[in-house]
Amino acid sequence: MILSNLVLQICQVLCVVLLAPLLQGFILKAEERIQRSRGPNILQPYRDLWKLFHKQAVVPESASWIYMIAPIVAFTAMLIVPILIPVLTDRPLPQSDMGDMLGGGMVLTLGSFAIILAGLDSGNVYGGIGSSRAVMLAILAEPTLILVLVGISLLAKAMLPFVVNHLLLGSPSTYWSPAHLFLILAFFVLLLVETDRLPIHSPTHLEIYMIDEARILEYSGPLLALLKWASMMKQFILYTIFCNVFLLPWGMSQIGTPFGEFGSVVALLVKFLLVALVVIVVETVQSRLRFYRYQEPLATGFLFAVLAIVSSQLM
Amino acid sequence: MFLEHVNPLQASIFSSLAVVSLLLTFVMLGSHWLQNYVYAFAVQSWLIAALSASVGYFAGYPELYVIAVLTALFRGLVLPYLLMRIIGRLNAKRELHAVLQPSSSLVLGALLVMFAFVIANHMNRQSFLAAHVVVMALTIMLSMKFLGFLMLAVRDEAVSQILGLLVLENGIFLGSQILVPGMPLLIEIVILFDLLIVVACFGMLVRFLVVHAGTTSSRQLNRLVG
Repeated sequence: MILSNLVLQICQVLCVVLLAPLLQGFILKAEERIQRSRGPNILQPYRDLWKLFHKQAVVPESASWIYMIAPIVAFTAMLIVPILIPVLTDRPLPQSDMGDMLGGGMVLTLGSFAIILAGLDSGNVYGGIGSSRAVMLAILAEPTLILVLVGISLLAKAMLPFVVNHLLLGSPSTYWSPAHLFLILAFFVLLLVETDRLPIHSPTHLEIYMIDEARILEYSGPLLALLKWASMMKQFILYTIFCNVFLLPWGMSQIGTPFGEFGSVVALLVKFLLVALVVIVVETVQSRLRFYRYQEPLATGFLFAVLAIVSSQLM
Repeated sequence: MFLEHVNPLQASIFSSLAVVSLLLTFVMLGSHWLQNYVYAFAVQSWLIAALSASVGYFAGYPELYVIAVLTALFRGLVLPYLLMRIIGRLNAKRELHAVLQPSSSLVLGALLVMFAFVIANHMNRQSFLAAHVVVMALTIMLSMKFLGFLMLAVRDEAVSQILGLLVLENGIFLGSQILVPGMPLLIEIVILFDLLIVVACFGMLVRFLVVHAGTTSSRQLNRLVG
């Protein structure tokens, strides 16, 4: 039995929505295990979301409509991006031609833009600090992101993630070329920065160096749950792009049978396990950088992206 | 010319070795610690030795094996050892007052690599199949030279200046191994001993500076004394 393309597309989105807390739970658990403590249950993020959805939402008096709408915009943006990228199937599905990689990047950024506005909206001091820090990080990360996209489109001669996936599957010489390896390194730096990991983001939330937590400090109840879920989904989406488009383009369903879809979910989880382990090792060995050294990892990422572009010209 | 009939496997071995040595130059550029510079330099020299050996193997120049052994021995072991001794005697373990922060010098280095690529692309007039290896070798040679100059210009600890000089020289050596592998053995040996003498003289200079001026940072040495 071959599922219709529409069903496959819905499966892709549902996979991101439902499995995103699992990835977060696994990372939190594994980090604690490496430090030889027990850590929270791997399903804890689901329970947190459940709890938050059953709580009352308290809205600050100074908040405007932006406060109410931002979590919904952020969550919706994260629902749109999985349509554009190969999550389970390696071919374009209905509506996946809505945007190329730049379009997907724009929708992702729209989500964080909404949260930045929300942080400024309520007039809380910490919200302002968090928003300004997040904007500075976005400014530093943007050149690298653009150069990574330019590099991958020079390599594949296309801006579509599906084409890149097929190219890397089809030609091992491209996969092992220095251009592609440098792109992987550059994107890994971006992955660390964008998914709230060390060396920039503090692992302890709710302290003076917080960035993402500070922006959503005023939220409570279902709105907070939406925001948290959106940030977990963003992490899941970035991991998906990193694995399926850059690092491990294997193990995706091609025909679209239910069994194949199930297999590619399992393969996706195995790939995420590998990437998450590397991320956890980085988080364990690396201490948080001072505020004025934030640009160092991002400059390294920029350097990798430039080297990738130069070496893609040499092929 | 040997590069006219290089096959894809050889081309990829050469380019990966060269690219990783370029990366190690960036490790030197982006780090604060003097020890890291020396380690990166040592690994880079081993890679260049591996490159000479592989060029010697594929192109059929037996004397390149001798050069590879000499490179690994002198640049990979003796020079780092001497430099580590010098650093151990210094009281400076890291660059404190670099003119450029590591991140800015990384970005500047990336721009220099692009500049080197543009030059190499202009210089390349060949049209055979493996022309990209030539451009690659030229690019990496020129960028390592530029990065060496950059290190000489923006660092003020004496040890990092000598390392800038050594990186510059490593770049030339790397390019010459790929582009003109048949260089006479004597020239290579002369260059190696040149370097050894440079580092030895430098060690004496550092001793002198530490005793008489109390510092090895060029920032402190800008006063004329009679």
